[in-house]
Amino acid sequence: MLEIKNLHSRLEDGREILKGVDLSVGDGEVHAIMGPNGSGKSTLAAVLAGREGYEVTEGSVTYRGRDLFAMSADERAREGVFLAFQYPVEIQGVNNMYFLRAALNAQRRHRGEPELDAGQFLRVVRQKLKLLDIGDDLLQRAVNVGFSGGEKKRNEVFQMAVLEPRLAILDETDSGLDIDALRVVARGVNGLRAPDRSIVLITHYKRLLDYIEPDHVHVLQDGRIVQSADKELAAELERRGYGTFGEQPEAAAQ
Amino acid sequence: MTMSAVLDFPVKPEARPYLDAFDKIASEPEWLTRERQRALTRFAELGFPTRKSESWRYLDLQPLQQKPLLPAEPNAGAQDSTRAQLAALQLPGSGPRLVLVDGRFSPELSRLGDLPNGVWFSSTQNAIAERGGLFRELTDDAAHPFAALNTAFFSDGFVLDIGAGVTLAQPLEIVHLASGHDASYHTRSLIHAGERSRATVLEAYAGAGHYWRNDVVTVRLDTGAELTRAVLVEEAVQALHLAELDAKLGADARFSELALLLGGGTVRHEARVTVAGERAQCRLDGAFVVDRAEEVNIVTNVDHRVPHGETRELFKGVAADRAHGAFQGKIIVREHAQKVDAHQLSRNLILGGRAVIDTKPELEIYADDVKCSHGASVGELDETALFYLRSRGIPDAEARHMLVEGFLRDPVEEIADPRVRDYLLRRLTRRLEGLEA
Repeated sequence: MLEIKNLHSRLEDGREILKGVDLSVGDGEVHAIMGPNGSGKSTLAAVLAGREGYEVTEGSVTYRGRDLFAMSADERAREGVFLAFQYPVEIQGVNNMYFLRAALNAQRRHRGEPELDAGQFLRVVRQKLKLLDIGDDLLQRAVNVGFSGGEKKRNEVFQMAVLEPRLAILDETDSGLDIDALRVVARGVNGLRAPDRSIVLITHYKRLLDYIEPDHVHVLQDGRIVQSADKELAAELERRGYGTFGEQPEAAAQ
Repeated sequence: MTMSAVLDFPVKPEARPYLDAFDKIASEPEWLTRERQRALTRFAELGFPTRKSESWRYLDLQPLQQKPLLPAEPNAGAQDSTRAQLAALQLPGSGPRLVLVDGRFSPELSRLGDLPNGVWFSSTQNAIAERGGLFRELTDDAAHPFAALNTAFFSDGFVLDIGAGVTLAQPLEIVHLASGHDASYHTRSLIHAGERSRATVLEAYAGAGHYWRNDVVTVRLDTGAELTRAVLVEEAVQALHLAELDAKLGADARFSELALLLGGGTVRHEARVTVAGERAQCRLDGAFVVDRAEEVNIVTNVDHRVPHGETRELFKGVAADRAHGAFQGKIIVREHAQKVDAHQLSRNLILGGRAVIDTKPELEIYADDVKCSHGASVGELDETALFYLRSRGIPDAEARHMLVEGFLRDPVEEIADPRVRDYLLRRLTRRLEGLEA
């Protein structure tokens, strides 16, 4: 699904954030990327989604056999890459339903499928709403405008459920959520697990992984993945903290 | 003998061709002939406003100075091309509709058969013949040069007189079409809303070719009257559109105006509102879209003369290519007009490096116990929002259109009547489809 090799990236001011990330995500797998603040987690998500302001200086990313960087941000999305934003953006005057239908129809056009009219789209949406415990009123409001923190995150997962991506990257979707909202988000993500869909969870805390069980856990530190293991690693991180990994890079590399 | 020959003061050179073109209309009542001559004299003194005049500083009237556009001769009635213009507007209503072609009432395109009780709605010429008193009483002396010229030359217009307590269930439509033959169309109209009456009117302006439209509308709201006036301007690329609204609000009256300016070479929309009765509410909203070399100028002037009034203004503008937009919004609160609550917001979006938008809020407050505020901004498309839309697969151009439309929608959404509101939103979407965002 996703093959990241020796990925280096820097900001426009020249600061290097990613310093050689290697990661391989297979079909149907759930990977968690954990790490302290400033380790490069969100930069990795932004670079994969195609946000401007980051320069890739070295390395490659292959997504389903294609060079990811040869595609524009919107083309990546139409090819099935989805980023759940850490800070979802408020968009004045654009109705949530209208926005999401435009997004889904852009993807359907891309795949050569017929577009959905408002009625057909509503039927798709109704099923997903139930799953995520989202009220109809959220759909009639402008995208994320005046939403609470929890509503914004739920709206991200709702969009993901409607768009059914092949590769979903969730950037700190768990941050700022109370336990009920966290459960709803987890239910949404777990509901999407499928043999042909891969999920990358970026998180600071182990908490989310109590609800979404990853196949692999990686530790990102100072722009590199310093440790990869199964889900037990998350529990270990919770006990020992991130500091120990930075201090013992040799041990981590083993 | 021509007018210019009998005047004994210096006539502005640009006014002379208009003076020479003036002819007494034999069929008109004498009071009107006198009014017209008086106004023409006034115009001869004033000439065209120049950029030295504050409220005209943003518009280039040079082309008009150099080549006069004289009042159009009576037309032969509706042509196929004007029928096509009317059809292209895709108006929403099935109710009463009054159509003016080249500044003159077109009975064949209008639909006035089924008026509700208590409503008088017809052309200005019919009003002068049948209800001269009303027209004469409510039409103020024209102090501004173009209003004076309008008084001298107006060929027709519409008059809507709504009786006390009457509620109009359907919006009324007024359509101004232009066939465009290097001429000017001067229309003078009047809306009188009686006590506690309620109505919504939609006025649409469209045309083809090269012309100058000089439109003056007077609005009078009696105690407790509610009126919504939605104005849609989709003039021709070569058109000059100058429009003035003069509104006076009685006690507890509510007036809402939306100016949706979507097309025309040069478009100026001026709204002057006098809040003359206590607790009256005034809503002035607007949105404009200009591209290529278009220019648009919105000028508002709200004068609170009595206590406890309220004003809300929301104006949004978008300019692309080499276009120029300008907003000038003045709110005056007189010395004794305590407890006035007024808020004005002008927000603008520039698409592309060569477009320019000027915004100039102006509050003149002479009372000490008031709540008044204003805000103004000119910015570019929000890149973060653009990335968010694109990250969901929406192509760049479509995402830009969504953002621009989202930006412009809220003034239009202030219109309470869903038929008119949805219609105007459709026109907005249609306009943006042709825009390079």
